[in-house]
Amino acid sequence: MNRVLRTQWAPLLAATIVAGIVLSLATKQFGSSFNVYTILQTAAVYTVIGLSQMMVLAVADMSLAVGGIASLVTIATGNLYQVQHWPIGAAIAGSLALGLACGLVNGAIIATTKLSGFIVTLATGTAFTGIAYGITSSIPYSNIASVLTNLGQGRAAFFSYLLLPAIAMTLAVGAGFRWLPIGRSLLAVGGNKDAAVLSGLSEKRAIVTAHAVSGVLAAVAAVLYIGVLQSATPATGSDWLIISFAVPIIGGTALVGGEAPASGCFVAAIVLSAINDALIVLNVNTEAVQMAEGLLIFAAVIAGKLGQSVRGGTRRSVGRPSTGPGRLGQIAQDAATPGLGMP
Amino acid sequence: MAASAAIDGQLQASAPVPRVWPSAIERVREALGTQTSAIGLIFLIAITWTAFGIAGSGFLGSYNLYSIGQLAARDAVLGMAQAMLIVVARMNLAVGSIGAVCTSLLGYLLVSAGVPVWLAFLLVAVVGVLAAVLMGVAELMTGLSSFIVTLAFLSAYAGGALLFTGGRQYQISSSIVTRLGNGTLFSSAICPLVAIAIVCGVACWLLYSRNSLGWKMLAVGANERAARASGVNVSRVVLAAYALSGLLCAVATVMNASYELNVNAGFGSDWLLPSFIAAVLGGVALTGGEISVTGILLAALFFDSLQSGLTIINVPSYWIELPEGLVLLVAVLLDRARRARRRTMQPRSATSTPEPDAVVAQ
Repeated sequence: MNRVLRTQWAPLLAATIVAGIVLSLATKQFGSSFNVYTILQTAAVYTVIGLSQMMVLAVADMSLAVGGIASLVTIATGNLYQVQHWPIGAAIAGSLALGLACGLVNGAIIATTKLSGFIVTLATGTAFTGIAYGITSSIPYSNIASVLTNLGQGRAAFFSYLLLPAIAMTLAVGAGFRWLPIGRSLLAVGGNKDAAVLSGLSEKRAIVTAHAVSGVLAAVAAVLYIGVLQSATPATGSDWLIISFAVPIIGGTALVGGEAPASGCFVAAIVLSAINDALIVLNVNTEAVQMAEGLLIFAAVIAGKLGQSVRGGTRRSVGRPSTGPGRLGQIAQDAATPGLGMP
Repeated sequence: MAASAAIDGQLQASAPVPRVWPSAIERVREALGTQTSAIGLIFLIAITWTAFGIAGSGFLGSYNLYSIGQLAARDAVLGMAQAMLIVVARMNLAVGSIGAVCTSLLGYLLVSAGVPVWLAFLLVAVVGVLAAVLMGVAELMTGLSSFIVTLAFLSAYAGGALLFTGGRQYQISSSIVTRLGNGTLFSSAICPLVAIAIVCGVACWLLYSRNSLGWKMLAVGANERAARASGVNVSRVVLAAYALSGLLCAVATVMNASYELNVNAGFGSDWLLPSFIAAVLGGVALTGGEISVTGILLAALFFDSLQSGLTIINVPSYWIELPEGLVLLVAVLLDRARRARRRTMQPRSATSTPEPDAVVAQ
């Protein structure tokens, strides 16, 4: 319990729950089981998107291609099912493999060229989206398998069925980082690259693995979203950039690598989705929601920094010069935190 | 025009390289490698123009060249806006969102408020600078990376612009603005915007080759700690870089609005990619401390020629996004290869980033 209270997202979650209770007393709409279901449905997709980004952040890299991979995977699923008449299971498997392949491409380029993930994934992400638009001629696939629709739209009272895969992914990623040797080596490389390499870990392997898993998770998010949207459109993923960073960062993932709190992603996704929903219920403009997201990322990062210095875990001074695109690896080296996955 | 070329010259002059006669191919390679990417880009533009001139009818017609110039001018200024921060080893993800804010303001001032054009331009420039400086202040106060700061502001500004306009369209009818983006200069193939881009380019070149602020920016980008140790006020230089980036975003906004005329707060949402393509393809090092203004201008020209050419040979619009990504990818990989080769050719520069002194001594 103490550990839960000390996490970065605990105060945010508490505030959200209190605000949620107030809102549901004040308006009939917010607390209704349908509305809570909508919040959870969106949160489930947000969770997986956030996990996809968190994988890469863990090795002190970043991916701007989460949305691009999602776009390509979405239309692959639609195409395999609707045009090639594959059974839906095979179509999903094929799509996840495609997500893996996209992630491997990113990882391989970044690991061999040692370029920053930012610029490489900006390019590949655009290329993936470009292929998706090209193949479909911008026309979405509308014939969606009933399995996906049932999963995306199904609910038991307020419990969206999408939460099942989202929770499963959260647990799998969390367990992978905690217990699998490769998961721990990712955190080691992310936390302190030089130390990790000197202790015999392969940096290349860590980066490629992180991007590959990130690709699969982006694909999972895309497949889940098809059910929500009931359409496989190449536009999927175009607005995932902010979310993909907001979720892990608000959930307490450090930008300097070496940390990967999967449960934080889950909580942050619910918080973000609830805030979006509340603003809409309160008749605030959707534009204000977008503003709120940006400011929230900022607040979360600053809160995280303050929390760290209060806890005295690290000695990173606030006035420290920040670094540009090619320097993330260096920040990781400078980071005072030993990144061996201490929970 | 390339500040990096000067550094190379210095290093080459002082490094005792064992004398081996290079073959002709080696020499060409060396020239391409050290003259940043300008020669390569001229070559690429020549190929593009020849190929599309033959394959697509009307590519070299004055109408098409005019529209390439229109777009390339804006993209070049966007590239410079991005380069201002890349030079100091930072980045500006919010170029498009500052564009959205400025576009909304420009539309409001000219259409709804009926403010004189010069005053509208001035206010837009001020707001562009303030919007960027605010990000700079946020970065310096929190010590966060510019990536995350500008990402947060990207979202906030885009939302703010939409909130401000409420989704309204502004039809700009001012004759000065119309003539700026749709008039002609000297010949019917040249848009006045091209002149603006070149003026911005010359200003940037003067800044980095003749002005101490520019040198300090290069020094901060090459090695922030060394720059601080040698007495450069890093915070002030970084804020200046943000301010210049914001100013150029505002200029790009005015350019964009002057040929689109019917504007809304959605403008700018697709500026991130061109801004990085122009800067990176133009040979601006992502690690900071280097800039090539000629490269940026040429890269924008190449990129928009390619886009226009693909449209001319009837590539469907939904296939246009793929080459954008591929061009950036190839540009980044080429840049990487060039730097790696330069490092092996010049043993001294392998161990250290160019010293700020080397830049200032120029």
